[in-house]
Amino acid sequence: MSSPIRSARQVPSVRFALDGGMLALLDPVHSVPLVSFVIALRSGSDSDPVDKAGLARIAMRMLRRGCEGMTAEQIDFRIDALGAEVAVDAGTSSVAIHAQVIARNLDGLVDLLAKMLGTPTFVDSELERLKRETVAEIEDARDSDRVVAQKALHRTLFAGHAYGRNPGGTTESVRAIGIDDVLAFYHSFVVTSNIVIGVAGDVVAERIPELASRLVAGLASGRAAVDPVAEPSMRPGRRLLVVDKPERTQTQILVATLGTSPHDDDHVPLYVANGVFGGTFTSRLMREVRSKRGWSYGASARASIDRHRQAWVLWTFPAASDAAPCLKLVIELMEAWVAHGVTAREVAFIKRYLIRSHAFEIDTAQKRLQQSLDVELLGLPPDYYTGWLGRVGAVDAEAASLAVSRRIRPENLLCVAVATASNMVEPLRSAISGLEDTQIVAFDAE
Amino acid sequence: MRDRTAQRRAWADNVNGNQAAGARLTYVRSHPFGTETVERWQLGNGLSILILIDSSAPIASYHTWFNVGSRHEKPPKTGLAHLFEHLMFNETEHLGAGAFDRKLEENGAESNAATWVDWTYYHESLPAERVKLAIKLEADRMAHLVLREPQVASEKDVVANERRYRVDDDVEGSASELLYKLAFTRHPYGRPTIGWMDDIRGLTPEDCGAFYRTYYAPNNATIVVVGDVRERSLLLAIRDAYGSIPKQAHVPEDIEWDGPQCAERDASVRKPTATEKLLIAYKGPALGDADHVALTVLSEVLSGGRASRLYRLLVIENELASDVRSWVSTFRDPGLFEFTATARSGRTTVEMQAVLDKALDGISSDVIDDEELARAKARLELGQWQQLDTIPGKAEQIGFFETVLGDPGHAFQRVEAIRRLTASDIRLAARRYLVRSARTIVRVLPEPTALAQGTE
Repeated sequence: MSSPIRSARQVPSVRFALDGGMLALLDPVHSVPLVSFVIALRSGSDSDPVDKAGLARIAMRMLRRGCEGMTAEQIDFRIDALGAEVAVDAGTSSVAIHAQVIARNLDGLVDLLAKMLGTPTFVDSELERLKRETVAEIEDARDSDRVVAQKALHRTLFAGHAYGRNPGGTTESVRAIGIDDVLAFYHSFVVTSNIVIGVAGDVVAERIPELASRLVAGLASGRAAVDPVAEPSMRPGRRLLVVDKPERTQTQILVATLGTSPHDDDHVPLYVANGVFGGTFTSRLMREVRSKRGWSYGASARASIDRHRQAWVLWTFPAASDAAPCLKLVIELMEAWVAHGVTAREVAFIKRYLIRSHAFEIDTAQKRLQQSLDVELLGLPPDYYTGWLGRVGAVDAEAASLAVSRRIRPENLLCVAVATASNMVEPLRSAISGLEDTQIVAFDAE
Repeated sequence: MRDRTAQRRAWADNVNGNQAAGARLTYVRSHPFGTETVERWQLGNGLSILILIDSSAPIASYHTWFNVGSRHEKPPKTGLAHLFEHLMFNETEHLGAGAFDRKLEENGAESNAATWVDWTYYHESLPAERVKLAIKLEADRMAHLVLREPQVASEKDVVANERRYRVDDDVEGSASELLYKLAFTRHPYGRPTIGWMDDIRGLTPEDCGAFYRTYYAPNNATIVVVGDVRERSLLLAIRDAYGSIPKQAHVPEDIEWDGPQCAERDASVRKPTATEKLLIAYKGPALGDADHVALTVLSEVLSGGRASRLYRLLVIENELASDVRSWVSTFRDPGLFEFTATARSGRTTVEMQAVLDKALDGISSDVIDDEELARAKARLELGQWQQLDTIPGKAEQIGFFETVLGDPGHAFQRVEAIRRLTASDIRLAARRYLVRSARTIVRVLPEPTALAQGTE
């Protein structure tokens, strides 16, 4: 390829340092009359007490369940009347209210959100209702084999660590949450010093300080949360966890080990190498599993990022009859990737893809805003996104291969399979050389 | 506007010169698309081209919509349109296996495809200056696809796995498949787009070849381009790539229609799930029917968000369900008005149905007040803007409404129709469609083994 590699220009969000230690970020765009808000806390489920996982999410959802002069029902009616949506998204390192509104009703939504944030009533009966709703949602999620697999993976890979606790909680931990827990969370974490406000869409920069101040007018200044999370580790050796579910004709397979930290000096080289292995439709995994053998609709590998080292996870879902050979194959492919690295040709290809497709990482105001929020909330290096292209461009095959061999340990693997245990355990065991441990759990295990 | 039309026509006359008939460009007309404009062109071989210039981001979305879907299949060849969509990513006479995706990826493109009852479409989103790559690749596979046994056999395995993922091992997917099978006994909407498993197994390269020759022709396709592109250079590139592809004889549709449904149909299935699910489907209008807008608003009144009637009754007040949704199918022919509710643990489909029936009976007689109607309309307006918030989203809206209704700007006409709608319109539509004798019910019940699973 002789033409130079060009990419879209990254424009940083407009930053506003506001009273009370609060930060606001703006990505304006005026193509459609919509405005999006993110009201994010600099803490998430990592602050949940061990026996009350899900507290951060429940506490933020309670803001919608009654405020001064408005019942939960009246808040719901008002949100719809404004042509708005309001939802809570909970992660390990941050929990956030996401809202979007038709631009002409922007002030109405800001007034409503301000009341919800500043004057919540935290009625006990509403908490009990929300807990019952949440437990039902957790039970419903068991219908999805993929969700079941992901939950099993994280609680086993990161057992005893904050990353092992689901931000949504378990049926037991949600039931254990009381109104005092919600109040304590609110007073500790829903404070201006612990909040970052993001705005994207059809709004002008001049309005942001006023809108942000109105949003948090009822909140105490408080203190920003301190990251309570220790560096995660994983149990050495190769393990198999079979999540037993009846009548599975297909096997959801996850293969995981520890991955990358955004602060690693080889973080970007690893990301590039992972793109070669399982990051695109023509990656090694897709070529071998889908294109050559037709074993699975998809096969991919991903290294998530958070404040600390997160998991590297390989995902595929073959027919039950192909599950054992497919698992054996993907582990062998992974071993070869670690042992032999990636070629210069592969790296040149994936760099072209990553740099040219970067336009789609920043083609909407909401995506650009989320990148800026990630930098703040996950403690990423300030130039994590703005300098991304330059760092990708600098990666060569040697650096990418070295990163894989340093960070990815195929001798320490957790393999999770959602399958019907009675006929799948032995074939799956036989697919994993050096297997040290096998566990079988029910699909509704928490 | 007239000046621009004249300019476009004059430019077309100028560039057509000595071009063969199939490669001659004709400017047809412009279509309003909100505050923007979609320009309609056509090649001499029948290929329709819709262009919307949008410079909000340095990207372009290139869509190819074919007027073919599972409605064109006959048993035992169900799943053929969808399998064919997969095969379009394979070898052509000019490109080896995998080269299509590799070329797009190394140019930073995102690419995928979808098949449903009325249509199949392929889409690429690229850095805007690389849009000509999509033109070249799409034109190549429209005319020069290679269909041999190894590729077809391998892709059948992939599709079988997709079916396991979306249907066989998915409670909601399998229940929905059963609902449509019961509701439509003759019309192809009763057959799954992904195909019955035995049918997928039986498809041959010959089936695929015949399908390709019949439906993958320029006069059965519409190109939609939205993005930061130049109209004239884009058109010349499309002309050069597609102009030599011959049009095919039009094949009239051979659709079997169901007679009126005069009695309620129902079925129960057991699945490895912890909670019961209820699916109720009334016969619904076609997307182009005036009643479709009325029922879309009614659907929002009933189950759009936490303030909606059914959500409040089933989820919040009586705590019978964890979720309730409704949907009016957006099909060319009359489809279904579906309701899906998931019971809380220990609650039943019978309890949910009693509440749902009472609420639906009320719609035909009670008044929807102004505030309730305004809330539903505001939510729909929000949803409409969300769909148009991105360049690929605009391309999808244009292609979808062009292919199903022949009107690329119809999304905005719906917004206006929704604004004009009254409570009386909704009540009348409800009386026409919420007819119990014409409905179909599927109940999903937990298997005893699923309930017996213990928590470790």
